[in-house]
Formats: sequence, C-alpha cells, structure tokens
Amino acid sequence: MNDIGEFTLLLALATALYGCIAYVMSARGNRIDLYLSADKTPFIVWVCVTISSICLWKAFLTDDFSLQYVWAYSNRELDTFYKVSSFWGGQKGSLLFWTLLLSTYMLVVYFQNRNKNLRVVPYAMAVMLIIVVFFLFLINFSTNPFERIPLPPEDGRGLNPLLQNYWMVIHPPTLYLGYVGFTVPFAFAVAALISKDLDDGWIRMTRKWTLISWFFLCMGNLFGASWAYVELGWGGYWAWDPVENAAFMPLLIATAFLHSVMIQEKKDMMKVWNMSLILLTFAMTIFGTFITRSGLIQSVHTFDEATLGYYFLAFLFVIITACTTLIIARLPLLKSTNELDSFFSRESSFLFNNLLLLGIAFATFWGTIFPIISEAVRDVKITVGPPFYNQVNVPIGLALLALIGIGPVIAWRRATLSNLKKNFFKPILASLIVAIVLFPFIPLGNRAEIYTYVTFVLCAFVVTSIFTEFYKGTVSRMGLHEESVAGALTAMTWRNKRRYGGYIVHIGVVLIFAGIAGSQAYGTHTEKHLQLGESFEIRGYTIKYEKLVAIEATNIKTRIIAQLAVERDGNRYWTGHPEKEFYKGQNQPVSEVDVLSTWKEDLYMILADFQEDESATIKVYVNPMVSWMWTGGWIIAFGTMISMWPDRLEQRRRLDRIRKQEQLFPSPAQE
Amino acid sequence: MGFSHFLELILIVAILLIVGVPLFGKLKFQRLVEPVDPTIEEYKHLLVRKEETLISIKELEFDFNTEKISEPDYKELLNRLETEATGILEHLDQLEQRRKKKQA
Repeated sequence: MNDIGEFTLLLALATALYGCIAYVMSARGNRIDLYLSADKTPFIVWVCVTISSICLWKAFLTDDFSLQYVWAYSNRELDTFYKVSSFWGGQKGSLLFWTLLLSTYMLVVYFQNRNKNLRVVPYAMAVMLIIVVFFLFLINFSTNPFERIPLPPEDGRGLNPLLQNYWMVIHPPTLYLGYVGFTVPFAFAVAALISKDLDDGWIRMTRKWTLISWFFLCMGNLFGASWAYVELGWGGYWAWDPVENAAFMPLLIATAFLHSVMIQEKKDMMKVWNMSLILLTFAMTIFGTFITRSGLIQSVHTFDEATLGYYFLAFLFVIITACTTLIIARLPLLKSTNELDSFFSRESSFLFNNLLLLGIAFATFWGTIFPIISEAVRDVKITVGPPFYNQVNVPIGLALLALIGIGPVIAWRRATLSNLKKNFFKPILASLIVAIVLFPFIPLGNRAEIYTYVTFVLCAFVVTSIFTEFYKGTVSRMGLHEESVAGALTAMTWRNKRRYGGYIVHIGVVLIFAGIAGSQAYGTHTEKHLQLGESFEIRGYTIKYEKLVAIEATNIKTRIIAQLAVERDGNRYWTGHPEKEFYKGQNQPVSEVDVLSTWKEDLYMILADFQEDESATIKVYVNPMVSWMWTGGWIIAFGTMISMWPDRLEQRRRLDRIRKQEQLFPSPAQE
Repeated sequence: MGFSHFLELILIVAILLIVGVPLFGKLKFQRLVEPVDPTIEEYKHLLVRKEETLISIKELEFDFNTEKISEPDYKELLNRLETEATGILEHLDQLEQRRKKKQA
C-alpha cells in the first residue's frame, strides 16, 4: 500500500507537469486536441493524490511504523480520532493534505468552468497545476511522507499532546481550506492577465471562491484562537505569534479585496488595485507556509522539521516577480476612465477601509519579519512582541471599526452633508448615550482602558448604524410593497443577500471587537498555592480547593485532576476540574484548563502545579466578554452563508446575457 | 513482477490512454477558440455595464427612499445614470444593427 501511495505521488507530479504544459500549449497554439488531453489531468491528479492520501491514512490507522512519518506522529495507544488528524500533524503530511485540498478545489473549478471562457480557463488551470507541481515536487523529493525506516520499531513516538485536542481535527483543515482556496481567484487573475481578458469576468467567475476562502480563513483564525485559549493554558487567545500573523495577514488583504472589488463591478475602475490585492493575498498564503516551514522565525506552530524555507522563498520570489511583470505589461489595458463621483461616498469609505486594512497588514508583516531583518542587519535577532502590534494596530483597528459604521450610512456615488447629518444622528446619539452610561463604571487610567472605552462607544455607533439600515430598508419596502415587517425584512435581505449578509458579518465583527476590548482591558488573574480545603477570592468568586485525583486514563496517559468549588454570594455556583495530563514518553505535561463561560465573563482555571502532599498551585483568570468573540464568529458564519447563497436573480441575468449574445453571435457564447 | 508493480503498470497505461486518446482521435472542431472578435467583446462588456448601471439606478432610488441622498443630488445622479444607460443601450443597439446587416 505504501508503495502505491508513493508511486501515485510521482504519477500525480508527472501528470500535473504534463497538464501545465499541455494547457498552456493548447491556449497558445489554439489546439483543441491538446486542450482535451490537458483537460483530463486535473481529475487524474486528484485521483492520484487521493489514493496517496488514503494510503497514508491507512498507515496511521493500521499502526504501520515502517513509515518514518507515522512513527513520528502516532503510536498504538493513540485514539483513532487523533490517528486521522495526525495526517496533518507534521510537515510531510500537512503538505500532502494541502495538495489534496488544492487538487480537490482544482477538480471543482474544472467541473464548474470547463465549458466556459476557453481563453481564460486553460491558463487558470495551468496556474493551479503549477502550484500543485510545486507542492508535489516538495513531497516527492524533499519531504516524502512515505519515507521508510529500515527496521520498523514496535511502537511510534506519538502525537504531541498539545495536538491531542478536538480542535486539531477542526482548526488546521479550516485554515487550509481558506489558504488553499485563494489559489482559485489568484489563478483566474493571472489567467486574465495572460489572456488579456481583463474585464471583470474573472471576478464574477471567482466571487464565490473568494468569499468561501475568506470565510474559512476567518473561521480558521477564530478556531485557532479558541484552541490556544483552551489548550495552551496561558489565559489568552492571541499572542501575535508569527504564524498567527501569517494567517491574519491574508485575511486582512482578502477583506480589502472583497470590498474594493465591488467598486470595480459597479464603476469598472480600480482594476490594477484589485489585481494587486488578490495577488498579494495569495503571496501572503505562501508567506504563511514559509513561516511555518522555514524555521527562520520561532513560533509555537513551527514544524519540527522546518527545512523547506528556501523552497518557499524561491517560489514566493517567482510568484511576486511574475505577477508584477504581468501587471506592468498589462497596465495600458487595466487603466480605467471612470473616477469617483465624490469624496463623500461609499466608494471612498471602501477606499479608506482598504488603506486601513493594508496598514494593519503591513504593520503585522513588519513585526513578523523584524527578527529576520534585525538578524541580517545587526546579527541580533530582535523579536517584537504584543506591545508593538497593539500600539500600531489598535488605533488603526478603531478607525476601521468607525468606518464599518460609516459605510452603510453613506450613499453610493455621492452623499450630501445635510443627509449625512440626518443619517448619522441616531448612531451618534446611541454612541453618546453609551459613552455617558459607561463613563462612571469604566476605569480610564491608562491607554488600554481608554481604547477599550472608545471601542465600546464605536461598537454602539456601528450596531445602531447597521440596525438603522435594516429598519429604514424594511420601512421603505413595507411602504412600496405593502408587506408585513417580517415579510419586508426577509424579502429585503433575500433580494440583496450580498449587502445584508455583509451587514450581518459586520455585526459579528463588532462583537469580536467588543470581546477583544473587554477581555484585554478588564481581565484579572491570580495564582495561589493551596492546601486541601483552602480557598481564595477573585472578583467576587470564592475558589475552594477540594481534592486532587489521579486517574490512569489509558496505558500512556495519566490525568491529575483538581476539584475546585466556586462559590458566589455564599452559594455553590460551579465545580471546576482543571487538570494536568502526563503522556508516556513526553517530557512536558499538558494543562487542560476548565472554563466556566458566561455572556459576562469567563472563569478560567489552570492546575499549574501539584505536590505529593496534595497541595496544588492554582491559577485563575477572570476574562470578561470572551464569549462575545466566539458568538461574533458564528454571526460571521451566518452572514457569510447569506451572502454566498445562490442568487437566482443574478443567475437569470447571466443566462439572459448569454442568450442575447447567442442570438446575435451564433457561435456558442462563453462567459 | 509483484502485485504492486502490476498495479503501477496498469495506472501508467490507463493515464497514457486517457490523456493520449484526444491527441490521436478525430475531432469535430480544430480550434479551441475563435479569433477574438472585438465586436463580441464590446457587446459582452456593454451587456455587463448595462446591468450594472440599471442596478446602480435601483440602488440610487433605494438610497433616496432611505434618505441617504438629497433630492437635488438624486436628480442629478439619476440623470447622469440614465444618460449612461441610454448611451449603453444605443451602443448595444448599434452593434446589434451592424451585426444583423452583416448577417443579412
């Protein structure tokens, strides 16, 4: 089975290479025979990569320790659930998993577009295949998951205990789905540049892909934060770690792209900008993989065998050089004759939003690569920490939050000052009320607290602005169509899913802002060494240490569990069970925190240490409003689902266009 | 030859057949795409612009109904968009007429 897995990887590489060449030659030579031949390759590559992946999964599930990768990331006692996720636990498997997702996406694109614009699609498929070739080259010749051990050991080394968490099954695939997904709009953008088919056709063809990828990347970031929160045991969810940053940067640039692309669709302008943004988004996804696989930057996420940095750096260099050259070569075709109607318009607010998002992305990028630069220039690796990111990104983030509220209130094309005053009245009034109500209760002793106060006020501004938009739209529709409130609201949202789905996403973003602000500024924590029966107080909670229990969970895992009674106002409120898990063969124990999560705050407990006399060191955090962030994530998911839902009106318009074109030009119309 | 080698051989032959057949078979068409006809491209572009302009008019009306834009601005922008839409429709009409004449 391993032989087959290894062989199909080679076959996939050879086929993908042939596919690239054949697609390009078919497009350049206008040869349908070559196109039809090349057109079989996405499916063959997918089949080969899938067979190879099944072989690797089988090796994990059957404890085949003759494979070095299986030995390094699994053992006989490992739960089946984690044997499945061990596939992407290390560098070799994660690259194969990446390739599996990429070839699957490519297959879907192939089925979606094979009968559409044949001037663009062959190049787009070729670009995707080139990227597949790069990954398959690495897997085959540099980091092969089917590498054998001559004398297979009896048992494996086991999966890192930190990765033995259900988030391991959810977070990496979600993030990868986002990362890999941006290959599709990137490929179509490059194809449009090569084929000189530079109207907004490529944007329309890949709009859903961009949104899906954005969604997965966004959820991947949130899931990662959630995993860090429950698993790493330091009371936080985001540490501005280089790899966290690497996942955050493409999200920021893609968000900018999602907004600015609307201006291109509406006004046929900003083509160079949009092209650059999608190319930059893709480059950032490769930069992210470079960070995890280079070993150049220290991060908790870095793979053990991070040795592929130079390959990714070279690939990144090729991508950036090729794309920049292409954009420069096509500049005359990308020029737009249209201009913005007014400085006070929604288009302008989108432009500002783009600049702010790119500002945060650049600051994050600078902080991430600063250790490399400082080492190159001064031979000293200087790492910048959260204070740098917070100092730069928080003010820009607040300006961005304000723009989320300003955007819906401003009209497209042109806004008038008198109307702005009228439309801003309610959101400003709401934010003033919140400012006044919160003022006596919120400390304003330092910059962080002032920022938090401003965040809450702006959140009120944005939420009021969005709800006013829903309200006005519903009332307007009720007047025009004589519908009930619910009917008008539903019909309005359904007929303009993109706009109202977007507003719902913005509400989710507001909750995330509020959650971050609340948890960062008003959290508290304490650490106590306690004997059995002792207790202490933290922010109105009385924590009593009741007992310490040791459980042999499996042959390789021992759990030490502390029982902590939580009392409030003299009544037992909750019982917490933070624990430490010891794994055979692993030096470091793993903390499993216990969290009581409410809308107001999280009570977060860690068993930091324990002694033979059953005394224990307990660390307790009170983190306000953390659950707001997770709720915000689900609201984003809901809003994105509405935005992505197929639009029958749009489909009808597209079919109508094709029909008209076919009537006038008898050859089959292609879009 | 072991079973795995036999399977590998089968896979190679299958792939060669799948990608090779179109290269040697008889095909109904010889060209992948027709040469770019600027008229078709312009027509396609104008159809999209027409749609976008009509959507913009609808949005302008919505913005006016929800009091985001003043009446003078609304009238001016509506006039501009209607002129733009008329221009596009006229252009489309010209292209259609020219094409029909050519076909006749």
